[in-house]
Amino acid sequence: MKDTNKIEARRVQVHYGQNHALRDVDVDILDKTVTAFIGPSGCGKSTFLRCLNRMNDTIPTCRVQGLITMDGEDIYDARVDPVQLRARVGMVFQKPNPFPKSIYDNVAYGPKIHGLARNKAELDEMVELAIRKAALWNEVKDRMQAPGTSLSGGQQQRLCIARAIATSPEVLLMDEPCSALDPIATAQIEELIDDLRAQFCVVIVTHSMQQAARVSQRTAFFHLGSLVEYGETGQIFTNPRDPRTESYITGRIG
Amino acid sequence: MNPDRHISRAFDRDLEAVQALVLKMGGLVEQALSDAATALEARDDALAEQVRNGDAAIDALEEQVNTECARLIALRAPTASDLRMVLSVMKIASSLERCGDYAKNLAKRSVVLGTMPVIEGASGGVRRMARQVGLLLKNALDAYIARDIGLAEEVRQQDRDVDQMYSALFREFLTHMMEDPRNITACMHLHFIAKNIERVGDHATTIAEQVIYLATGSLPSDERPKGEAVISGNGG
Repeated sequence: MKDTNKIEARRVQVHYGQNHALRDVDVDILDKTVTAFIGPSGCGKSTFLRCLNRMNDTIPTCRVQGLITMDGEDIYDARVDPVQLRARVGMVFQKPNPFPKSIYDNVAYGPKIHGLARNKAELDEMVELAIRKAALWNEVKDRMQAPGTSLSGGQQQRLCIARAIATSPEVLLMDEPCSALDPIATAQIEELIDDLRAQFCVVIVTHSMQQAARVSQRTAFFHLGSLVEYGETGQIFTNPRDPRTESYITGRIG
Repeated sequence: MNPDRHISRAFDRDLEAVQALVLKMGGLVEQALSDAATALEARDDALAEQVRNGDAAIDALEEQVNTECARLIALRAPTASDLRMVLSVMKIASSLERCGDYAKNLAKRSVVLGTMPVIEGASGGVRRMARQVGLLLKNALDAYIARDIGLAEEVRQQDRDVDQMYSALFREFLTHMMEDPRNITACMHLHFIAKNIERVGDHATTIAEQVIYLATGSLPSDERPKGEAVISGNGG
């Protein structure tokens, strides 16, 4: 279903202690769509991304105000278990961070702790499916017991994506997933992101504007803690409406 | 933060360089058009020859603009107004190259016309039209430099005057041809000349529209005003 809002944010404010990191962010994130967050360092894009799976809860000084809903449900409601939420909202980080375990165990970990598989055969199937979806299967199928850290950087990142999607999340958050990768591995991850959007709502934070232009359908530009402009990616990159967006994407402010 | 300049100053230099090329082209085209019209009126074959030879420089500049734009796209990945600038520069260069061809054609025909009897009042009318079109071209390029939408809009409106001048010349040539069939060859050449100058006016309009695209991100949507068309009755 295209054009359905998966996530809606209203007047979201984030403070880290005295620091007002995010101001009045209103945004609707579409399901089955790749949404890119761009903006200079410290603009609040990662902060906002981390609000979407309540990663900010782990920072004691952090205060999140406003409303964020997923499928219409307030994800900050007292009844929502953040651990369960994170099974529905997977995350991939900047540096590939496989567990110091086998390739198999890396991917099996999520389904195991959430009790998603009834038996070993079912778990095997889940692991294979996730690794296939992450476009890594052909490269690792013969060495599933090898340590995840023995893979190349690009393969490790795809392993982390496989790990993130093994619990069948609805939303996949990616914080600079390619910044530690070479251009070939980057292209493979971007290709994968494009495939993943058939099934997931993908939100990606990237410093590479070209990457945002290549992989996303929607782009949001953050600056100094505010969401400056949000729109169709083609429009943002050919004819942005806000002069600050224009200055940033043309390389005039950084 | 300086929103007028790129963080990469080399990018600014590249963009300025390619714009300078297109403006140089514009200058050559304006000169060629005006020289060709003067050569026609004064029956100055040497000047006409100079215009014909000068077209190669205009063509070479267009190629240089295209090469530079391709390089800019490949190396700088321009976006937003930078991208529109590169795209519009290529379009403008292609329009100017066509205008150069029309001036060259005018010069070619003026050499042929030099061997024929003078058609009363014709070359003066052509020169006036060429001057008007030259002005449109100049205004369109000035609008480009200043990103002046108002001036660009004026150029679009003023092209109507050129269309009317063309229609008037068309009727005049027709009258000459009907009066004396010996005028037909010369008037046919003059008619092509008038038509070509009218086409230059259309290109000036295209450039003006590119200015609007560059400044606003979209082409003007309304139909451009057209002068009286030469289609009915005695008008041919």
